Amino acid sequence: MIGWEWLTRYNYTRSFIVRVIAKAGLLFLLVNLIFWILQPLPIIGRISIYNILVPGRERLPYGESPEAYNLSLYNLDAMFASHNIARIKAPDEFRVAVIGDSAVWGVLLTNPSTLTGYLNRELLTFEGKKIVFYNLGYPTLSLTKDFIFLEFATRYQPDLILWLVTLESFPISDQLASPILQNNVSHLQRLHEEYGLDLDMNDARLVHPNIWDKTLLGQRRALADWWRLQLFGIGWSNTGIDQQIRGFEPRSNDFDQDTEWHTFTIDEPFIEADLAFSVLSASKKLPTQIPTIIINEPIYIADGANSDLHYNFWYPQWAYDRYRDMLQQQSEQNQWNYIDLWNQIPPERFTDSPVHMDEIGSQLLSEKVMIVLNNFLNELKDTN
Amino acid sequence: MEIAQIAVLVVISLVNALLPSQWRKWVLFVISLIIIYWLQPSLSIRWLDYTLPSIIIGISVITWWVVASREKKISPITALSREDSTSLVIILAIILLLTIPRYFDFPIALTSRPPEIWQVITIIIALIIILPLGSYLISFRWTAILLLLIILAFLIIIKSEVLSIHLSVFLRQQTGQDTGIASVIDIQWLGFSYVAFRLIHTIRDWQTGILPDLSLREFITYVIFFPAFTAGPIDRVERFLNDFRAIEKYNPFEANRFTEAAARICIGLFKKFFIADSLAIISLSHTSIDQALSAPALWLMLYAYALRLFFDFSGYTDIAIGIGILWGIQLPENFNRPYLKNTITTFWQSWHMTLSSWVRTYVYSPLSRQLLRSRYKNHVNIILLISTLATMLTIGIWHGITLPFIVWGLWHGIGLFIHKVWSDHTRAWLRRLRQHPGRDAAWRWTGVILTFHFVVLGWVWFVSSDLSSAFRLFLALFGVAP
Amino acid sequence: MDEQTVRENLRTFIVKDLIRDPDYDLADDEGVVTGGLIDSFSLAQIGVFVEQAFGVYIPDPDLTVAKMDTLNQMVARILRDIQ
Repeated sequence: MIGWEWLTRYNYTRSFIVRVIAKAGLLFLLVNLIFWILQPLPIIGRISIYNILVPGRERLPYGESPEAYNLSLYNLDAMFASHNIARIKAPDEFRVAVIGDSAVWGVLLTNPSTLTGYLNRELLTFEGKKIVFYNLGYPTLSLTKDFIFLEFATRYQPDLILWLVTLESFPISDQLASPILQNNVSHLQRLHEEYGLDLDMNDARLVHPNIWDKTLLGQRRALADWWRLQLFGIGWSNTGIDQQIRGFEPRSNDFDQDTEWHTFTIDEPFIEADLAFSVLSASKKLPTQIPTIIINEPIYIADGANSDLHYNFWYPQWAYDRYRDMLQQQSEQNQWNYIDLWNQIPPERFTDSPVHMDEIGSQLLSEKVMIVLNNFLNELKDTN
Repeated sequence: MEIAQIAVLVVISLVNALLPSQWRKWVLFVISLIIIYWLQPSLSIRWLDYTLPSIIIGISVITWWVVASREKKISPITALSREDSTSLVIILAIILLLTIPRYFDFPIALTSRPPEIWQVITIIIALIIILPLGSYLISFRWTAILLLLIILAFLIIIKSEVLSIHLSVFLRQQTGQDTGIASVIDIQWLGFSYVAFRLIHTIRDWQTGILPDLSLREFITYVIFFPAFTAGPIDRVERFLNDFRAIEKYNPFEANRFTEAAARICIGLFKKFFIADSLAIISLSHTSIDQALSAPALWLMLYAYALRLFFDFSGYTDIAIGIGILWGIQLPENFNRPYLKNTITTFWQSWHMTLSSWVRTYVYSPLSRQLLRSRYKNHVNIILLISTLATMLTIGIWHGITLPFIVWGLWHGIGLFIHKVWSDHTRAWLRRLRQHPGRDAAWRWTGVILTFHFVVLGWVWFVSSDLSSAFRLFLALFGVAP
Repeated sequence: MDEQTVRENLRTFIVKDLIRDPDYDLADDEGVVTGGLIDSFSLAQIGVFVEQAFGVYIPDPDLTVAKMDTLNQMVARILRDIQ
């Protein structure tokens, strides 16, 4: 066989084959055992070509789209290692982590057009330091998810946190609906214990790895995801693309008369305990005290059928108004830095959901945020 | 083939190795017949994923009948040997049995809903009546030509997007399905490109009188030998026969052969499913062509594409060869370190070797000889140019009848021609160069780098969906923004 | 036609018309294609020469590097079919 002399040159024996199979089997068992004992995925996750061979991503990996060099994975270490927040912080850098849902992440927006994209264009400074904004939004609606990401972000020395929230992230019953939480039970468990989050750790949706899931064989998918994330880095650095931006179905403008929100009605409305305010206050317990600004993010305000009952597809008016009142009250009670921007963006600037904005909307929001930020930083300067 | 499919094929092959050796020829024959239905992707046009493998079998049986030895033809039914008639009964039984899932729920479906059994029986009876009758009217010589034309017509249809869509629309009209969604993937005919080349090879060899005598079982097994069914290599029938006739004496567990088989399969799996699939993520594609931000990025993606093509295809070939060895069939090699060759000619002697040698045998050689016999025989370079271009054009359109593939073929054709003319002038000089090992090596490596880049730039045509995007890519590679 | 005549006729043709180096001393078992002296196009030329000089038709599948690399192989193939 041409080209295969190196293989056919030798005389193999049966015992050779048996030895190879035995050794391979042994090695396989050993590797699985080591994997099972060490659980090295978080460590492997930190090994990354991003920020070394290729630039870090400007937002967290999300979306199963090879055409856009992106994927969804559950390895938080790998996700953060691929983000440009993992790069070394310059001495003259003032680091701002922006936490939130898909509106912060920037569905249907290129990186320069996201909220952080516009904020970074301003080249703001604070006490001689360059203010750099990092997009740590992630497209699922859950304050607990936000909190996990926020807690993770503290490893990267942020000087300030902007946390954009909306009512849909609040229902206690939906806190664990996001797959990234369900597949990170150990993280969740730790946060639950350290910060006393109001979570049902016996929720059936949580994925508890069994003994096989902890072996190499059981974690092959996670390992492959890590590997693909690295390879996508080359495509990302070659093209700057991390999202396939296509046409979209505009958010609905007409609604029926039913004003139920989740399981609540105007007659039996939610109370404070039904919303995850405890998660918001948990951020105050973080070991390193990082100033945090909570922003109620803008929503689409419809003008179609029954728009006197509904602001938009998500929110009946009674529910949203009640939520705003509650959040305001909570902020005052807990002395949060809270700003409500709910009606600050004109309705025509919204795209496919009640919180996703187009480029102009995004830019308008960045201007509003900048005003908030300047006021806050001025106060901070005065106290320093 | 998916990794799970490969695993099934390997398991089947290992099980066979445990069976009594005198069963193996029949097992291989039957397994290959069934597997081609199983591997055929399901298609949305009614009955088509049942019909296409059946056509492959049907056309192969007819070809065998034409090219088989003299006696069988005079009275096709009575003169069949016992082995041939058994083979025929098995083929018909399988084709008929595969219609049964229509009537009962089977856990394993090899095809999507097949046609009614009586429809298939009608077609078979019609063929059994028409073919012998036809043989009294048309000579086998002409039947062979007719067969060649039919095979070529099928090949042209599946290789041409326009014709495929027309065929899809036509078939959808016949089955009463929505013609508005007709598309190329409706006519995804697994393995036919390779089957066609094997059939043409046997017919042409029969025409020149060098085809060995062979039974129906041998012929069918050769044409649809399952490890090589989807992606080659394209074996030669006389070589295949040598191995096939000896498989009863073959010991699949003989340590050398088994090691070789296992190594080839493992290496192939690694090449295809790790290296090639990883490279696929970073290599050039229809979409990424217009996305890249800089020339170095494009070069990186183009190199990755070139390597991916090699690892993907040669990985498949390794797997096919490995599985073949388990059956005692040593398929021919398809690659021999092509990217390390120092001339474009040697590249083509080591890239997809079974295809290029097929084309050399059945296009290049007859065409150039015909021209050398003609009254233009003294214009050697023109003859060379014409036959080289025709050969590479054939390889180009075998990949698909599109302008980029045609240009890719011409690119290599012109490259080969220039190299041949140039090497005619430098042959003596090169022979003298061999006395200086250092300079010879330097020259050789210069050749390797030049050849590699000639091939890599050729892939620009291969990867582009149309000529204008190929031109844009060329400009961008050299830093010229379009 | 005896073996010697076939061999010398063929040798002259290869050396003079294909290698185009009349002084080249071509050995009987030397690989002419694998040795880089001629290429596969020359095999087609040899095929036509053999037809015209010895009346032997070599089918295309036999006109390959593997089967026609040395003078010995060529001569043997021709003598097989020679009248």
